[in-house]
Amino acid sequence: MKINQKLFFQLGIVILFFGLIGILINNLTINLIRTGLGINFSWLFKPASFALAEHPLPYSSSDSYAWALFIGWLNSLQVIVSSLLLATFLGILVGFARTGKNSLLGIISAGYITIIRQTPLLLQLMFWYFVGFLGLKDNVLIHIKDIFIISNQGIELSGFKLSSEFSALLLGLSIFTSAYIAEVIRGGILSVPRGQWEAYRSLGLSERKGLISIIIPQALPAIIPGLTSQYLNLAKNSTLAIAVGYSDIYAINDTIINQTGRAIECFLILLTSFLLLNLLISNSMEIINRIIINSRKYN
Amino acid sequence: MEPVVVAKNLTKSYTKGLRALDNVSLTVNQGKVLVVMGPSGSGKSTLIRTFNGLETFDKGELNILGIKVDSTHDEKKIQKIRRRVGMVFQQFNLFPHLSILENITLAPVNVQKRRRAEAEEYGMYLLNQMGIDSHAKKYPSQLSGGEQQRVAIARALALKPELLLFDEPTSALDPERINEVLDAMRRLAEQGMTMVVVTHEIGFAKDVSDQVLFMDSGKVIETSPPNIFFSNARHERSRKFLNQLDKH
Amino acid sequence: MTLIIFLFQRLRKTLFSNLSNSIISLIFILIISLVCLNTFRWLIFKANWTVVTSNLPLYAFGSFPPNERWRPATWIIILFLLSIITLFGPGWKWLRKNLLISWVATIPLGLYLLYGGFGLSPIMSRHWGGLTLTILLTACSSLLSLPLGIILALFRQSSLPLIQKLSSFYIDVMRAIPLIAVLFFGQLLIPLFLPVGIEVDRVWRAIFAFTLFVSAYIAEDIRGGLQSIPRTQIEAANSLGLNQFQIIQLILIPQALRIALPALTNQSIGLFQNTSLMAILGLVELLGVGRSILANPEFIGQYIEVYVWLACVYWMVCTIMAVLARHLEQRMTINQANF
Repeated sequence: MKINQKLFFQLGIVILFFGLIGILINNLTINLIRTGLGINFSWLFKPASFALAEHPLPYSSSDSYAWALFIGWLNSLQVIVSSLLLATFLGILVGFARTGKNSLLGIISAGYITIIRQTPLLLQLMFWYFVGFLGLKDNVLIHIKDIFIISNQGIELSGFKLSSEFSALLLGLSIFTSAYIAEVIRGGILSVPRGQWEAYRSLGLSERKGLISIIIPQALPAIIPGLTSQYLNLAKNSTLAIAVGYSDIYAINDTIINQTGRAIECFLILLTSFLLLNLLISNSMEIINRIIINSRKYN
Repeated sequence: MEPVVVAKNLTKSYTKGLRALDNVSLTVNQGKVLVVMGPSGSGKSTLIRTFNGLETFDKGELNILGIKVDSTHDEKKIQKIRRRVGMVFQQFNLFPHLSILENITLAPVNVQKRRRAEAEEYGMYLLNQMGIDSHAKKYPSQLSGGEQQRVAIARALALKPELLLFDEPTSALDPERINEVLDAMRRLAEQGMTMVVVTHEIGFAKDVSDQVLFMDSGKVIETSPPNIFFSNARHERSRKFLNQLDKH
Repeated sequence: MTLIIFLFQRLRKTLFSNLSNSIISLIFILIISLVCLNTFRWLIFKANWTVVTSNLPLYAFGSFPPNERWRPATWIIILFLLSIITLFGPGWKWLRKNLLISWVATIPLGLYLLYGGFGLSPIMSRHWGGLTLTILLTACSSLLSLPLGIILALFRQSSLPLIQKLSSFYIDVMRAIPLIAVLFFGQLLIPLFLPVGIEVDRVWRAIFAFTLFVSAYIAEDIRGGLQSIPRTQIEAANSLGLNQFQIIQLILIPQALRIALPALTNQSIGLFQNTSLMAILGLVELLGVGRSILANPEFIGQYIEVYVWLACVYWMVCTIMAVLARHLEQRMTINQANF
């Protein structure tokens, strides 16, 4: 295409795009005037007047909406980070079981992966919450001398309490994500050429030593990007907290919209919160990636 | 008779100092075969790719089949040239998602707007000429390298071009497959096709070419008829190059 | 007999090759047999399956009027038959060529059967539900998001900076937001952005929200496909005199779709699972039916039966989709033209 032709084409699409946006915004303002809402953020500093079951920082219903949103963001962060750790741990176990030599373990982990991946996360969360915790017979599952208790009140580990909502969410998200992480790990391990296996075996290295010092370092560059995208998915999936009644950032936005009707403002707030969360996760993973690359200077 | 290719002082620089083409001038007349030789990185591929506008150049003038192009790289003129010039690549570059026959009829149907039945008939004729008409319904990945390259030649011929460009057509082939492609090219030359061929195949250059152009670091070192070039090259650098080729 | 010995030897080799391996194997065999035994006992003796068996039509069709249930039933049976023909049907060329068209045609057919009109009694979309609605949401959203995703991918690869920036912005923002937020705000905001007087029902609002969301992901998959096409393909097409639009249409898109096919089928399997989110946003699709049945005093507390049953249904459909997809990929690699 000639330069002026390119400009023309580009201009056409941009005009079309902004025309469409213009019409949409025009409709929006008409609708907002009709419903008498308008867009402003001053409501953020009015008292929220709803209670939150879980708050890592002090919170009462007389605190502002903005504070409630911040608490929600912290709650999200809390569940995301803890599920991320648990999911990684489980995922590594399952991933290695899937690739390992023991065929029984291989079959079990393959079964685990297909069941978890082929059913909706929301269904799994509801299962863990309504069946796993609320549905416990006699309200207690495990009770070891007040040190470790699993009951319909949640999980308690020597005085440290996790609510049943948090526990169900943690369990559901971790198990769901672990199946995907296992596949990422397996893909990474399989991406190492077969010759590398033959090489360390021919050098007389033990299986364990070979795996740790030869295979895993080479698999990591393929694993890290996959892990990052699974972590980002985990963060997004954590918004299903609303289904089990855990007050994460999305659930609090939902409550606020029901109270105030401020849908557009809340949408922008949620968008910003998630852009922040995503930045946080992808930047941390980038740092980890750089550490790994720097610690092993191989080409 | 109008020459098919006239290049005047073509110059193309990549980064500072490095010249891919340095003041290259040449002429190819109707029905003649020009073989371009030179070490890798000498600019021979760049040169042949300017002829159908795959590469731009900074200075100089090009006249292909009477269509003049300069450094402004006028898309319309280049499009006109491409309709009359065929090209065969080192890596064949067949379209993997299309069958052999579809590869060949793609341009006639979409560029020349010919009827599909007519294009297919001519495509089958070309495949027959190349000795691979039994593969028409297959896909490129099912063919050997030599067969794929012959399909690529048929594809280039489908537009009934007045000039054929070959960019190292045998370099990616197994040694035992090279001759089937060279034979096809020989037959084309005998039929009077004007061709510019970048190649290292001395035998082909000796038998088929009318002129050999030797390039090094973007410059034309010499242009001679093959009998002179291969027995008694005028330049030291040409002789050195030929010596090295012989050793391989 | 030799087979049994062979199996036994293989088992010994893989399960009991050394001491630690043997111990792990034994422990797992023990755990599995316990789990299997208990599950079996529960399935047969303890579970009360009436919550499933007495509500089968609800799971399939939601609150679709009982006299008209044959309409969604016909649709699902046609889809099922088409899957079987695709998988096991003969390889006749005319059949294979028309299969793709048939699959696409099932969507308007389904909409007609559900909506009614033209001889069928009209039925409002709020009566749609169950597996029918789940499949409809998946099918419509997939069909709409594919072209949008292709356009977005092409724009993002475009050399025109403004278009490229706009498309990148849309894709990156969409991929940063959780799906449930997109669906929720879709329900809330789509009416706000439309002129006064034009109403879009909940089902279509959901389909549009899914389309907006999934197309961003599809765009990235297709962009991956576009990027892995070697530049020499474009050169070859250029040297044949094809123009830019012909290159995009005849060379780039077909190849990118082929490369992205596994990722695309994963997207639509994911989409099928994610339609379950509409259960907490006011549609009575498959999971929604489960929730409304559990809210019925007659079946209160029978969570396990309902969830296990629903998990089986989701698993079955996902597996069928995955098998169809793998079949499609294999057909494409063996015979690149028709699937």
